[in-house]
Amino acid sequence: MQHFKLIFSATFVAIKRDRLLHALAGASLLLFLLVPVISMFSMRQVQELAITLFLSSLSFTLLIFSILLGVFSIWKDIEKRYIISVLSMPIKRKDYLLGKFAAIALFLMFTVCLMGIIGYGTITFAAHQYQSEIPVSWPNIFTAMLMSGAKYILLAVVALLFSVISTSIFLPIAGTIGIFLAGSATQGLYEYINSGSGAQDISLTGQYIIKALYYLLPNFSAFDYQVYAAYALALPLDTIFYTVCYWLIYTSFLLFCASIIFEKKEFR
Amino acid sequence: MNIVEINALSKEYKVKKKRIRALDNLSLTIQKGEIFGFLGPNGAGKSTTIKILTDQIRATSGSATIFGIQSNKAEARRQIGYLPENPAFYDFMTAREYLSFTGKCFNMPESSLAERTNQVLATLDLLDAANRPLKGFSKGMTQRLGLAQALLHDPDLFIFDEPMSGLDPIGRAMVKKIIKDLKNKGKTVFFSTHITSDVEVVCDRVGILVKGRLVAIDSVEHIMATGIEGYIIQIRGQDNKTEEIKVSNSELNGVIARLLADNVKIERVNPVAHNLEDFFLDTIQAQVPTNESQ
Repeated sequence: MQHFKLIFSATFVAIKRDRLLHALAGASLLLFLLVPVISMFSMRQVQELAITLFLSSLSFTLLIFSILLGVFSIWKDIEKRYIISVLSMPIKRKDYLLGKFAAIALFLMFTVCLMGIIGYGTITFAAHQYQSEIPVSWPNIFTAMLMSGAKYILLAVVALLFSVISTSIFLPIAGTIGIFLAGSATQGLYEYINSGSGAQDISLTGQYIIKALYYLLPNFSAFDYQVYAAYALALPLDTIFYTVCYWLIYTSFLLFCASIIFEKKEFR
Repeated sequence: MNIVEINALSKEYKVKKKRIRALDNLSLTIQKGEIFGFLGPNGAGKSTTIKILTDQIRATSGSATIFGIQSNKAEARRQIGYLPENPAFYDFMTAREYLSFTGKCFNMPESSLAERTNQVLATLDLLDAANRPLKGFSKGMTQRLGLAQALLHDPDLFIFDEPMSGLDPIGRAMVKKIIKDLKNKGKTVFFSTHITSDVEVVCDRVGILVKGRLVAIDSVEHIMATGIEGYIIQIRGQDNKTEEIKVSNSELNGVIARLLADNVKIERVNPVAHNLEDFFLDTIQAQVPTNESQ
């Protein structure tokens, strides 16, 4: 536990001192501050658009952070040979990997919380510009934010898994982006092939491939609660519960796989 | 007591579908309090052995124990101070922060950590740079920090992979002094190098590794003694001029007795010896036909 905590805090310090992340955080902040201004262009749906834009901006920020941290955190340690100094101490590889993951996950959730505070200001400001018939549902907005955080923690684990498999940077980046795109699309495709017209348009092989991808890849669209937040719809609590369980199982499974691969990895 | 025990250790790498044997059936023990030099040309398997001992890579066959614990267990590394070849440390930290991180990894109590950190920083002449980020450290400074982090928790076994690499003459002298001090404290040091003069000065025993095989292992004292080819006797003649007489090992006693009988003043007797470098080169040379015939 001591070593897990040490790796966790060292990774967190590395994230805090990373100048690239500072620049990206600055750009994201600018994006958030532009939300009320851009929302004005919608004429009537200022509040709804402000919520959607805010959640989309948060999603984009978390996407960049999760890919960068997930891919580079371990890869950089291996590439710059820091890992040799660290793992030659009595640190178990499992503790190292979990410490890294915990720091990245906490940072992503910290970003969600920080952006949540900024979002509260920007959405409140935008909502006052044009009174909407729909009330601002803060529980829905916070649920959408937290689910977004969970989604990108899952993506960061995918990136971590690729970074322990490969020694080159290409596979972790391309693989993570590929899995993200495919995992975001499978839900829609699955629903399409189960609809009447979809079943006719796509060949049987194609349908099998889509079904296989749907069951194998992480389903990122399951974490999307933007519509519930923007239009203050009643939250489907049972779906949220199943999604959280799905997230827990999938994340644990990927971490377990990464841990096994990392345990066998050689640092020449 | 055997601090390090290596039994029939082999390691094969797969490079472009070809299997390369980096280490071939290596067996070796290192005793408590011993300074053991691991000599060998580049690619001989020195670093491979050290990497197996520190669990960076896994042996294809054979085993290695440290203090009786399998070397792939994290617990085995608790009593090791390790300096990697071309070390690299988290460059977002300062030297002091990194040493604090290291100390905590070895479960050093907070109370002694700060004091010990200052001690090792002073020993390695890094006190002035203690609060600077490692990003700005030169190669020599990083190497010295590597030694500092190895010394920090005062382990019983030190494993240094090319400890003099990247150091200037002052740094090299510092490292040799540190190794000698460790010996005086009864610590065990296992270090790899290809610089024979370093081994000659600090080591008790030396092992020579060629193409993954341990081809020679002996005490430095014995190597130096068996390498004596003869002696040079410096005398002062009757005309007060200095002269040198070269004699073989067997002639030495007789010549000295004769000179004394003739009332000749003997000023100095120097052995003409092969140094460790000659022994190292001869050993490697002796392997060439064997390896070529394979």
